[in-house]
Amino acid sequence: MGGELGSLVAAQLEAEPWVGSLVGIDVDPPRRRLRKAEFHLLQPSQRDRIVDVVTSFNPHVLINLSVWEPDARAGLAHARQFTADATTAVVGAAAECPALESMVLRSGIEVYGRARNTPTRPTEDCPPNPTTEYGRMLANIETSARDVGRRVGIAVGKLRLAPVLGKHVPSPLGRLLRQPLVPFSALADSPFAVIEDGDAARAFVAAAAQRLDQPLNIIAPGAITALQAIVRGRRVPLPILGPEWVIARQLSAFAGAPIPEHVVELMHRGRLADGSRAAEVLGYRPMLSTPEVIDHLYAWESVVRIGSIREVA
Amino acid sequence: MADLIQFPKKVAGAAGTVLAEPLRHWPAHSVDDFGRDPHLVGLLSPLAKLRWDVGVGGVQHLPTRGGALLVCNSRRWALSNVYAALALSEATGRPVRFVGRPDIAPIGPFMRRIGGLLARPDEVLGALRSHELVLISCAPTGHPRHAGVIDHHLVGAAIRSNTPVFPVATMSSSVGRTARAEVGPQVRPRKKRKGPLAELELAEQTQHHLQRMLDGFGGVQTGVAPLDWLAEG
Repeated sequence: MGGELGSLVAAQLEAEPWVGSLVGIDVDPPRRRLRKAEFHLLQPSQRDRIVDVVTSFNPHVLINLSVWEPDARAGLAHARQFTADATTAVVGAAAECPALESMVLRSGIEVYGRARNTPTRPTEDCPPNPTTEYGRMLANIETSARDVGRRVGIAVGKLRLAPVLGKHVPSPLGRLLRQPLVPFSALADSPFAVIEDGDAARAFVAAAAQRLDQPLNIIAPGAITALQAIVRGRRVPLPILGPEWVIARQLSAFAGAPIPEHVVELMHRGRLADGSRAAEVLGYRPMLSTPEVIDHLYAWESVVRIGSIREVA
Repeated sequence: MADLIQFPKKVAGAAGTVLAEPLRHWPAHSVDDFGRDPHLVGLLSPLAKLRWDVGVGGVQHLPTRGGALLVCNSRRWALSNVYAALALSEATGRPVRFVGRPDIAPIGPFMRRIGGLLARPDEVLGALRSHELVLISCAPTGHPRHAGVIDHHLVGAAIRSNTPVFPVATMSSSVGRTARAEVGPQVRPRKKRKGPLAELELAEQTQHHLQRMLDGFGGVQTGVAPLDWLAEG
């Protein structure tokens, strides 16, 4: 609930008529003014406390967004550790809640992997075959939740998000694309799709409301290649043929925008998925297309001023 | 006392502006859901016409909105699926995606940009479910008027997505520019099958339809026998 996506989901859930009470856990405080939600500041390693909070609240629906994308807020090793700790605590606690009917998880289209000759636009029926560490982290979350869901008989909805970009979302892809000089794969320049954080939050709310019990790809319509995104942002493209990626990654990390393995894979092999089932199952359609999300990425102000908040008696 | 060296922000900013200046005039394009770049296809179209002058017929058989699986014959090294897909795209005003791109750079990504799909049943199924026109080709043959065997797994995607199948007879010369792509009427299965025989029989039936259309084309007749032989490939 403290991250950008978590805060957005919490704010949207507060406005839903079917939501009675709301409890959230995160390592950071919420980024939005929440009126109904109760918040607990806890580290992923505080498993006992997390289990206490979740079991004493005894929710009907549990939404797990605790995924640390490598090089977004933490490096790979920490991201792996935090994600594993949080999954163990939250999914484990879910199994102890007698009232729980449904669990909705954050996953990503990175679970499909981009091995050679794999489908260009995988559907939810394609078996996960992750080819990066981030994809494997997400696949582990899905497996843990599925096992618990089967064991205690609850619905488990898995939302496989395209790379999430948003005003304040820490994203290695967004950070890389906003550099003044952006490397791209000259021989491939493969297409990818993204999703805006507000659209992703709406998908979680819809999935929770409908007690989703299947995986769904959540992806903005349209696609764009890295070179097209760079040109749209009026950045300077740096064509890279192959081995220079090692140097480019080092230099980019030095400049403050580390390029993790799954973003390099996206640049080389692209990352698309078929998101049509989300419209059929949830009646959900993203409001922004991929090129629009990219345009917003470059249009964001460095400082966003929000007006003073006045309490109304 | 040590001097404090400051990063030359203004110089770096000015250099960046100069470097990025040409980009301000570049058009902002994007690709579609499958990675096809309509602008690149438009740019390459005059080049393709230098090689192939394709006459298209029978497009009235194709659906105006829904998806359809098109099956064309293929002469070895003739790139029949590529020129037929480009010509049919132009004739119908809808993107026609051809199946059979390799998944290796730089050929594979380039072919994806002009509408190529991998030769996988799930890839074809995904495109058909998205109401796309998808063109697959028979196994290549040495003779220009022989329809090779059709991969029934790919035809099975049309059965699973409940989309119609159309034969597309193609003919081109290895020395000349003249080429032809003729769309035939929909192939309707003779018997209703529930199991895997449905796709096998539909593939065979499509191959027969295609062969009949190719037989109807006749051979090249220039009046000079050696030239006719050359044109036959």
